[in-house]
Amino acid sequence: MGNEITDLIKSALADFKRNKIRTLLTSLGIMVGVLSVVLLIALGLGLKNYLAQQFESLGANLIIIFPGNISSSEEGGGLGNFGAGFSGGANFDEKDYQSLSRINEADFVVPLFMKSSIIESDGEKELGYVMGTNEQAFEVLNLEILQGEFFEKADVSSRAKKAVLGFNLADGLYDLPEDAIGHTIRVGDQRFKVIGVAKKKGDREQDSGVLVPYRTIFGTLDVDETFFTIYLGTVDEDKVETVKERAKEVLLKRYKEDDFTVTEQTEILSTVNQIFNIVNGVLVAIGSISLLVGGIGIMNIMYATVTERTKEVGIRRAVGATENDILKQFLAESVILSIFGGTLGLFLSGLIVLGIRAFFPASINLFSVIITLVISSAIGIFFGVFPARRAAKLPPIEAIRYE
Amino acid sequence: MIKLQNVWKSYFLGEEEVKAVCNISLNIKEKEYISILGTSGSGKSTLMYLLGFLERPTSGKIYLGNKDVSTLSDEELSRLRNQSVGFVFQSFNLLNKFTVFENVLLPTRYIRNSIDFEPKVRAEELLKKFGIWERRNFFPNKISGGQQQRAAIARALIMKPKIILADEPTGNLDTKTGDEILTILEHLNKESGVTIVLVTHEKDVAKRTKRKIYIRDGELVEKYL
Repeated sequence: MGNEITDLIKSALADFKRNKIRTLLTSLGIMVGVLSVVLLIALGLGLKNYLAQQFESLGANLIIIFPGNISSSEEGGGLGNFGAGFSGGANFDEKDYQSLSRINEADFVVPLFMKSSIIESDGEKELGYVMGTNEQAFEVLNLEILQGEFFEKADVSSRAKKAVLGFNLADGLYDLPEDAIGHTIRVGDQRFKVIGVAKKKGDREQDSGVLVPYRTIFGTLDVDETFFTIYLGTVDEDKVETVKERAKEVLLKRYKEDDFTVTEQTEILSTVNQIFNIVNGVLVAIGSISLLVGGIGIMNIMYATVTERTKEVGIRRAVGATENDILKQFLAESVILSIFGGTLGLFLSGLIVLGIRAFFPASINLFSVIITLVISSAIGIFFGVFPARRAAKLPPIEAIRYE
Repeated sequence: MIKLQNVWKSYFLGEEEVKAVCNISLNIKEKEYISILGTSGSGKSTLMYLLGFLERPTSGKIYLGNKDVSTLSDEELSRLRNQSVGFVFQSFNLLNKFTVFENVLLPTRYIRNSIDFEPKVRAEELLKKFGIWERRNFFPNKISGGQQQRAAIARALIMKPKIILADEPTGNLDTKTGDEILTILEHLNKESGVTIVLVTHEKDVAKRTKRKIYIRDGELVEKYL
């Protein structure tokens, strides 16, 4: 049995050697197919990883309140309103922040306004995110100080023109991030004095953020004096549910149920994961089309090969090959071609993923490796079986007379 | 050894039925050296392929020894071809992608029973016997026709068959080389007792065999016309 398989492989390789270009071109179809499927899975996973990182960079026991409602679409529990949720619904303002602050069980209440802006300093410009928030944000967002200090509660009420820069932003504007302290930055028409630089966090938005007291930008950068999100934090994990309930009660006094969402980051993560599973499925389906085309390419070539080698089939039959032997021989060839193409595609997508990992957390998991090899051999068998059957069913006498 | 009883074989060429072999009864005895003589299209090759179990008859019976083989499965017929029959063809029919040595070993890839010889040793013996051992690593299209036919005979003999079926074995060779090939076949018959069926259209070739059978339009006839 083992001997027979070695024989089949040897014989197939001998044929490939004689038709190197054709072999390569045939495998190319499968290679491209596998490449696209694996790459799309890798990118999908990367996107998921990226979002998971974003959420993990927020502290634990965090309750997030944002406008709109992700769980009240008409179908009931669907994701239909997810996109709309960020733009529609309630506009949280300082009054909401104040009432939420009165919840006893909440240890932190952090409002957040966010807007992307050009940040200028000493003639240098960088794109960053202005984040209007309060002094508790540093704790809730897990920020650590690299140089200088964070602003304080008093700075919020006094509308102090102080700013704490994210690491990347400070790095971009000055020779050394630490040099930022004491400099003045300009955002729109407003100027701020840099009093602190945060350590690098690995979160793109936070690392290029400018944290300023929220009241300082009311009426200027934050024209409507509203917040994008309000975070509530508890030290004790057991209090998360209570705080959620309280927050809902507070907000319901002012808004309708559909105008806001109170959620935890784990809930958001699972919603996001659901979305990405769907997106991933669609991507894989698209990639599979090229695999299908590759498979048809193999079938095409195998049919040509069978015709070309009719005489060989006749000779082999004459010396004692059964129909089954011939079937196995041709099947082995198409399977080897497919696996060869599949491995090549896997290898190539591995290289590409390694390349893009520098700026995007794409990844190839064991699942995609296994599924690729299984699928490419399945393609080899499926698309090889028709030509191989034709070869096996050739009448020996006609085959041997074929010129 | 092989007995044909009222054997018919017909093909379909599109809608038209072509009767290649009509009602032939024939008995080939062990260790016989026999020629089947006929013009091209007379059905002599079809007859040979029937004798070599490459195809089943449309009707009639074929016996190998006392066993009726006309209704055997593909698997069983293939085993018979592998073990009991060796084919030699006009155009040699070696596989150009394999070396001479590998070509000679080709039938041993399809062995289904135990054998009493070491394939490579026997291949070496045969190639040495036919004087082409030095050519063993050549590809068939790089050696002469006579050498190719010797390699083909070695391939036909590797499984120690009881019968060799040769279809115009000298057809692609010059007279001298053809003679050498026929001499090899004669020796095999005389010394090793291999039954040889020689299919040809040349009277001169057939003359060298002990028994001659004439075929015309698929039927056995008394005389070669």
